[in-house]
Amino acid sequence: MAQLLVNGLVTGLIVALPALALSLTFGILRFPNFAIGAMLTAAAYLAWVLNFYGGVPLVAAALFTVVLFPLVALACDAAVFRPLRDRGPITLLVASMGLSFVLENLCRLMFGNEARNFDMALTRPYRVMGVRINFEQILTAGVSIGAMVLVYVILIHSPLGRAMRAMSDNPTLAAARGIEATRVVSLTWLLAGALTAAAGILIGLDRAIDPQLGWNYIIVCFAAAVVGGLGSPVGAVVGAIGLGVIGELATLVVDPNYRAGVAFAAIALVLLFRPNGLFGRLEIRK
Amino acid sequence: MSAIPISVENLRAGYGGDDILNGITFDVRPGEVFTIIGPNGSGKSSLIKVLAGIVPVREGRISLFGRDVTHLKTAQRIAAGLAYVPQEFNVFRNMTVGENLRLATEFIGLRGGVAQSERDRVLGMFPDVAGRLGVQAGTLSGGQRQMLAFACALISAPDVLLLDEPSAGLSPRLAGEIFEAVQTVNAQGTTVILVEQNVAAALPVSDRVLVLVNGAVRRLAPATDLKARDDLAQLFLGEA
Repeated sequence: MAQLLVNGLVTGLIVALPALALSLTFGILRFPNFAIGAMLTAAAYLAWVLNFYGGVPLVAAALFTVVLFPLVALACDAAVFRPLRDRGPITLLVASMGLSFVLENLCRLMFGNEARNFDMALTRPYRVMGVRINFEQILTAGVSIGAMVLVYVILIHSPLGRAMRAMSDNPTLAAARGIEATRVVSLTWLLAGALTAAAGILIGLDRAIDPQLGWNYIIVCFAAAVVGGLGSPVGAVVGAIGLGVIGELATLVVDPNYRAGVAFAAIALVLLFRPNGLFGRLEIRK
Repeated sequence: MSAIPISVENLRAGYGGDDILNGITFDVRPGEVFTIIGPNGSGKSSLIKVLAGIVPVREGRISLFGRDVTHLKTAQRIAAGLAYVPQEFNVFRNMTVGENLRLATEFIGLRGGVAQSERDRVLGMFPDVAGRLGVQAGTLSGGQRQMLAFACALISAPDVLLLDEPSAGLSPRLAGEIFEAVQTVNAQGTTVILVEQNVAAALPVSDRVLVLVNGAVRRLAPATDLKARDDLAQLFLGEA
């Protein structure tokens, strides 16, 4: 049971980062970014290229990726989303699907379909009170928790974070008060890009890197953001960890192949009683 | 620099393919409460949004103390001395009162001690808000929210304050408090441009009144003149 709890927590912490990124962009831009999965894939490949071809040590490659990939996210916004900003959420959702296919197939074109791995030494798992914990899990937990604390501090205690929350709360008023929407949107993409990059690398450590890497996480990432309340950063994190833990604990009573089914049944139950998610709020429409 | 706080010349603006405002011209005098009234759909709120820089100008010119601000963004107009309080949803409801005020200082680039002293200055004007800094703004009463919105707008110490129907949805007592606040702000030297449906409550605090009908100026007169007229309803409908 303790082993399942640890595994579930780590799985949830991996999903929490892209779910948080999804929630941040949804809160500011009001559309669900379907390309989040392909962005995870692209970030993982970027780190792998630096690590494998560039010979850069993994930690340095990861840091470079977390710095460089936000610029890729910003470029995606400039090329795809910014020209369509006034067209409504459905148009932007469809555009994000298009971007997703482009990014995924660019990775396929450049690196093929075969699975790749980071150049890192294998280590023995640690045993803590009978629970096996490997180095990748400790790293994942540390990086995810650190990133979430950093995002929390930015959102609550920095002028940028307050401006982001203001735009998420009431974009019309934010504009009336003179907030520079373009600047806040750009900074949101940079932050979301950094979170996605960190998550892509952690997923690449957890499993092999291939063009489908991000695709496997899209549904669970969206589910976490929706169950937490779309647009709520805290909700995205709680939703992701909850899904991870429920999915793992479910294997105590059902076949592991059905763990996702149990997690999604839990989502349906939550949404039945809280249609806006655990931390979601009713949209005010005039 | 001209002494005229706001000068509007031949203004045309609208949404989509249609003009809502059709060639509007007026000047606002220094230190006055200038009230814009008119029937629903006359373009009152559009006019104040155009002045705030939220709705773009199609034709004409807006000057702020003689400076052409026609094509400046809202942030630039705020820096030039304008502040705007929208009619509804005029506070960030999911943030605390303190965060709303803090944001207001950050929007105009104030930090540290200067920002704190500006917040203290406006909180002194609105003691009801001052005691609720940790409260989520969305849980405030309508009147308190309006006071908070005023306080946030006044942090930039604007020369001209634009208010869009500040008494909308408030009880007569709360509306009275809001108009008292308008008079207090005006007495401190701020020129106020007010859009109001509640004509009976707005006229006593106004110096001059512009009657807008179908996006055009129907009448511009001292408030005392309009108070004396018993055909205000016809004037609203464009019949007088």
